[in-house]
Amino acid sequence: MVQPIRVLVAKPGLDGHDRGALVIAQGLRDQGMEVIYSGLRQTPEQIVQTAIEEDVACIGLSSLSGAHMEWFPEVARLLRERGADDVLLIGGGVIPPDDAERLKQLGIAEVFGPGTSIQQVADFIRQHVRAAGPACQLAPVATASVRVSGVDHVAVAVRDIAAAIEQYGRVLGARCLGVEEVPDQGVRVAFLSLGGTVVELVEPTAPDSPVARFLDRRGPGLHHIAYAVDDVDQALAVARAAGARVIDERPRPGARGKRIAFLHPGGLGGVLTELCQRSAGEGAGES
Amino acid sequence: MSDDVRNGDYAARRQEWEAGVERELARRPERRSRFESPSGIPRLRLYGPEHGPATEDAYLERLGFPGEYPFTRGVQPTMYRGQLWTMRQYAGYASAEETNSRFRYLLSQGQTGLSVAFDLPTQIGYDPDHPMARGEVGKVGVSVCSRLDMENLFDQIPLDEVSTSMTINAPAAVLLAMYLVAAEQQGVGWDRLRGTVQNDILKEYAARGTYIFPPRPSIRLVTDILEFCSLSVPRWNAISISGYHMREAGATAVQEVAFTLANAIAYVEAAVARGLAVDQVAPRLSFFFNAHNDFFEEIAKFRAARRMWAKIMRERFGARDPRSLQLRFHAQTAGSTLTAQQLDNNVVRVTVQALAAVLGGAQSLHTNAHDEPLALPTEESARLALRTQQIIAYESGVADVVDPLAGSYYVEWLTDAVESRAWRYIERIEQVGGAVRAVEEGCVQREIRRSAYETQRAIEQGEHVVVGVNRFVTEESGQVPLLRVDPDVGRRRAEAVARLRSERSQTAWAEAVAALREAAQGDANLMPAIVRAVRAYATVGEICDVLREVFGEYRPGVF
Repeated sequence: MVQPIRVLVAKPGLDGHDRGALVIAQGLRDQGMEVIYSGLRQTPEQIVQTAIEEDVACIGLSSLSGAHMEWFPEVARLLRERGADDVLLIGGGVIPPDDAERLKQLGIAEVFGPGTSIQQVADFIRQHVRAAGPACQLAPVATASVRVSGVDHVAVAVRDIAAAIEQYGRVLGARCLGVEEVPDQGVRVAFLSLGGTVVELVEPTAPDSPVARFLDRRGPGLHHIAYAVDDVDQALAVARAAGARVIDERPRPGARGKRIAFLHPGGLGGVLTELCQRSAGEGAGES
Repeated sequence: MSDDVRNGDYAARRQEWEAGVERELARRPERRSRFESPSGIPRLRLYGPEHGPATEDAYLERLGFPGEYPFTRGVQPTMYRGQLWTMRQYAGYASAEETNSRFRYLLSQGQTGLSVAFDLPTQIGYDPDHPMARGEVGKVGVSVCSRLDMENLFDQIPLDEVSTSMTINAPAAVLLAMYLVAAEQQGVGWDRLRGTVQNDILKEYAARGTYIFPPRPSIRLVTDILEFCSLSVPRWNAISISGYHMREAGATAVQEVAFTLANAIAYVEAAVARGLAVDQVAPRLSFFFNAHNDFFEEIAKFRAARRMWAKIMRERFGARDPRSLQLRFHAQTAGSTLTAQQLDNNVVRVTVQALAAVLGGAQSLHTNAHDEPLALPTEESARLALRTQQIIAYESGVADVVDPLAGSYYVEWLTDAVESRAWRYIERIEQVGGAVRAVEEGCVQREIRRSAYETQRAIEQGEHVVVGVNRFVTEESGQVPLLRVDPDVGRRRAEAVARLRSERSQTAWAEAVAALREAAQGDANLMPAIVRAVRAYATVGEICDVLREVFGEYRPGVF
């Protein structure tokens, strides 16, 4: 089956004119693409982060407020910095012709002005988007690979965490170790202990969180696998050198006082992968 | 001749004519199998006496005389014979100084009212040095962050002589306070100020996007302004309930009227819930509609809106003051209909749209400049837009007769059709619990989006012709001179606000800000505390930050 092209339609800056962005989003969906709409007032950092998390092949930026010269090139720069410049970047809005030319020199593949048809945009995306399917180039030979000491936990995305805790307890005898909110991820998580394994249940608390979008798209199910490592900073650097696409540039705090970093599902069998450094004093297999 | 004979005569002749048309159609079919308005109202081939008010009683009930209930024919008895509409061009860019010179230029060219476009950071309550303001300072309007800017904006413009409209919503109270303080500075009493603050937050959630706070505290701010103006700034329009932006976002003419009036109902209900008398606030409500392409449907829309509002105010709210029943409105031609292809064509579009606004009885009008699909207007394009209004006013003769299209079988029929369809939408909004609930749940947003997509689809299929875009396309070359906003304006403005913060009295500022926080936590009217903070040189960003702390920020759902 051919995978649909995934597109992020995004509104950088403060501009509230979203008619064009919404019409394009719907139009590209009707053209068979999978489209995520960012909503208003996005920073370039948020846009690039979403693009990487969602593994999109194309970003369409829209601005009608005259701020395009500030925001569009910044998105291009961040994509390069994050090693994601294979994402096709296009833009549209109220953009004078001179600016459109300049934007093309700065990494925006095409600028669509008023009067553009959905068909023109869709055709352009199909012709210029990176090749679908597995890349045909060999990964660079890595000098080292990440040293994984075990599976820390397996995470399952659910819509109703209380119901899921009850089900896991009733069917598998899982014991709930605790529930906590991770506000900056927009999730509530529960850790369950079964045998020697930990299962993490993840429920979205914000409608625009990555987990909420995951559920909208794929429904409940396996969300990620977390591998335990001794030093997450080092593991992340090694993974990157070995050709993994990283979602987190730097490790950040996760639940249960751990330091974590996510790797992109692309190249890892389509599974979102977490590197997880256990906190000092925590015994292996004890969590 | 008796009525019977005449009716019989008419019916027979009409039938005969229809039969003739059928024969003609067999030979030469019409351009389309079905004709309908952009709102989906079917257009008959021909309208006749059966489509207008049938009797004098029906005329009196549905139309009435100009200046009389239900105001279908206009809110004043003499309309433009007495006074032309206010020619009010929306303008603003870069700093207060640059916009002040554009204002004075427009006034010198015969413009009769001012309309301030603020930049997005101002509209969303950020100072020019806020990280989110990057690249947006002075772009879609003028950057105003303290009373100093407001004073500079109106330098040498006597505020007792002009009327000023300010397109400002979430921080409307702050910018209004700055205008009041600027007037004091000029020695002009608040009772002599004329103008409008848009102050219509509900449509920001539905279409325009410059919200800051969640709907409920936002409605409190709107109501505070309604109450404050009714007591202290009696000639000021405390709100301009706007369909314009929902229309630009894709709504049809029928949806525009319905959603606007539904929002208006919500504001009046909030005022009544506050304990204000309907006739205390209603005379200072004003409206803002779009003047779009479909000539007759637009005229019908304006007439229907007046009639509906009069009924709503009298029957639903029991208003008695005639001014409470009058829907006074500003109109603006439709920016979204202008094309980047063959820019000169836009002058013609704007002319037709402006003519519809005038024939629909607008109290003030903005005509868009033809270069807007590419940039803000230059001085030349802004002047041509103003000249368009002046030619309609002074040369076309349409302003010399009150409501000249009344009695047109088609216009009266279409006015009825727009009205009955708009009532159905209003009923649906009532069913979900009113306008506030409808935007919270995304119902209005979804309707607008669906209409926008349908329009795009019709354009791409060629069903809907846009001259120069999907028909009559020409190769274009050559450069158009466009307005360039000084790219350095962001830095200049950030420095100016830093200077302001270091030079003002810290004690007065800190006390005023603390008093504002306390007022926001209670439920007293916030305007006095905001005026005090503005007098102490608090900035729009600082004042909005205090309110953000107390009210929280709005985060839209994904609809």
